[in-house]
Amino acid sequence: MGTVLSLKNVGFSYGESWALKDLDLDIRPGELLGVMGPNGSGKSTLLNVIDGILIPQEGDVLLKEKPISSYNRSGLAREVAMVAQESHFHFSFSTLEVVCMGRFPHLGRFQFEGKRDMEVVYKALADTQCLELSERSIHELSGGEKQRVLIARALAQEPTVILLDEPTSFLDLKYKSEIFDLISSLTHKAGLSVFVVSHDIDLTAKYCDRMVMLREGYVYSTGVPDEVITASNIEAVYGCPVIVDKNPVSGSPRVSLR
Amino acid sequence: MTNLTIKGPLSPMRVIRISLVLCFFLILSIFISLRLGTADVTLDQLWGLFIGDPNVKETVRLIVLKIRLPRILLAGLVGFSLSLGGVVFQALLRNPLADPFILGVSSGGAFGAVLGIMFGLGFNFGIPLMSYAGALLTIFLVLEIGKRKMGMESSTILLAGVIINAFFTAIIMFFVSTAVDDRLHSMLFWLYGDLSQSDYNQSIIVFPIVLAAFGVLYGLSRHLNLITAGEETALQLGVDVKKAKMICFLVVSLVIGLVVAFSGLIGFVGLVVPHLGRMVLGSDHRLLMPVSALGGAIFLIAADTLARTVVSPSELPVGVITAFIGAPFFIYLLKTRGSKWARS
Repeated sequence: MGTVLSLKNVGFSYGESWALKDLDLDIRPGELLGVMGPNGSGKSTLLNVIDGILIPQEGDVLLKEKPISSYNRSGLAREVAMVAQESHFHFSFSTLEVVCMGRFPHLGRFQFEGKRDMEVVYKALADTQCLELSERSIHELSGGEKQRVLIARALAQEPTVILLDEPTSFLDLKYKSEIFDLISSLTHKAGLSVFVVSHDIDLTAKYCDRMVMLREGYVYSTGVPDEVITASNIEAVYGCPVIVDKNPVSGSPRVSLR
Repeated sequence: MTNLTIKGPLSPMRVIRISLVLCFFLILSIFISLRLGTADVTLDQLWGLFIGDPNVKETVRLIVLKIRLPRILLAGLVGFSLSLGGVVFQALLRNPLADPFILGVSSGGAFGAVLGIMFGLGFNFGIPLMSYAGALLTIFLVLEIGKRKMGMESSTILLAGVIINAFFTAIIMFFVSTAVDDRLHSMLFWLYGDLSQSDYNQSIIVFPIVLAAFGVLYGLSRHLNLITAGEETALQLGVDVKKAKMICFLVVSLVIGLVVAFSGLIGFVGLVVPHLGRMVLGSDHRLLMPVSALGGAIFLIAADTLARTVVSPSELPVGVITAFIGAPFFIYLLKTRGSKWARS
C-alpha cells in the first residue's frame, strides 16, 4: 500500500525561528502513528500544517499525491479530520447535533442531512459507543464521553486521515486506555491513517504501529516503538535521565524517571 | 442497530412547520395591534376595510390604513431585523449577550444617520446609506478594539461595544443639543427608538433588503452552528470562517443600519427573542434563525402597541418598552449564563 499523506522537506516558522524544519514524514492507510516530543518541539504545529491551518513556508504536504494547498476548506475536511485537545461549546447542542456537524463538508448550502448522512452519523456513534448519549446535551457529558463524541464527529467526516491532539490529556487512567483502544481499533478496522500526538509515552508506545520523536522541529527518530523509545533517545530529546524497560504484560517499552 | 430509525436532528419540514405557526401569530399580532389604540377599532370595521366595504367611516379608514398599518409593518420589519442581527452576532461572538444595540452597531448607525440629516441627505436613500456606513464602521471598530493577541475574546468585545455605544450616543446628544436644524430636535425622541414617523415607503425599502439579507444569512446557518463551537473547529470542519464572518458582518450591518435610520435606537430585541428561541428549540441556527426573526417581529409589534397605548393619548418611545423588558433580562442572563461564557 502506498502513502496517503506525505510531508517533504517541510519548514514552518511563526516569524523568528523555525517551528518545523526539514521535516520528512509519511503515513500509510491503516497506520497508527504516534508523535512525541517535548513541549515546543513542533507537535501541534505539525498537526496544523497537515490540516492546512498553517501553511508551511518550505516544502510540500501531499495528500493523495496532490498538494494540500490545492484543496479548498471543505474538500480538505472530507479527507482530514482533527480532534482538538480542547473544545468548548458555548451553546447547548445535543450529541447527535455535534456529530452531525461532521457532515458539514458533505452538504450543500441549503441542504439538510439526508438518509446517507444519518447512516454515516449513526455508524460513527455506534463505533464510538456513543449511541446512548445521542439525545444528551454536550454540556452534560464527562470528559471521556465528550472525547468519544468528538472522535465520532471526526469519523462522520468520513476522512482518510485523522489527527488527534493529546486526546487523553484530561482523562483518568481508565478513560485513557479506553480512548486508545478505540483509536487503535478504528485505525486498523477502517484502514484510516491516524496521527496521535501525546505526552503519554507508555500508552502511545503500546498502541502505535510506528512512532516519530520530534526535537526542535525535526524528526529525531522514527520507527517501531521499540526502536524509538530508548533511554538514550529520550535523554537526548527531553534532557532528563530515564530508565526504559518492558511492560511485563504487553512487552511494550515503559519509561520511568530515574 | 439495523432497526434504528434513521432520523436527522432537524428536518426541513420541522423548520417550515414552526415558521408557519409563528407566521400565524405574526398575522394575529398585526390584527390585534390594528384594533388597539387611542381610538378603538372594532373587528367589524377591520373586516369591512379588509373586504373593501364602502360603509366604513373615513376616520377609521385613515387611522387603520394611514397611521396604524404602516407603523405596524415597520415595527415588524425592524423587530425581524434586530432579532436576526442578534442571533448572528451571538453566534459569531459565541456569546448570548451580543446584540446590535449592546455592541454599539445601532448607535453607530444612528450616528451615521444624524450626520446624514446634517448634510441634508434624503430620508429614503442618503440617510440609510450613511447609517449603514456608521453601523459597518462601528462593528469593525469594536472588533479591532476587542482584538487580543490570541484571537478575539468575546467579553472584551462586548465591553468595547458598550463603550462605543456610550460614545456615539454622547455625540448624537451633542449634535441634537446644539443643532439649529428643526429636524434634529425630533431626533431626541428617536434616540430611544421611535416608530411614530412610519410610512409605507420605509417598509417598501426595508422589506426586499431584509428578505434578501435573511436568504444570505440563512445560507450560512450551518456555518454559524459550527462557528459557535469555535473558529478553529469550524475551520477544521470545512468552514471558510473568514469569508463567512465577513459576509455576516456586512449583511447584518446593512440591515441594522437600514432599520436604525427609520426607527432609531431600539435595544434588547436581539437579546431577548433569540435567547427564548434557544431555550425552547435548541441552538441549531437553521431553526433558530427563522424563529428568532419572526419572533422579533411579533415582539416589536407587541412592544410598539404597548408604547402607543399605555400612556394614551400620549405615547412612549418603543425603545423604553424594550429596555424595560430587556435590561432585567440581560441581568438575568449575565447571572445565570455568565460563568459559562466567561471561561473562554
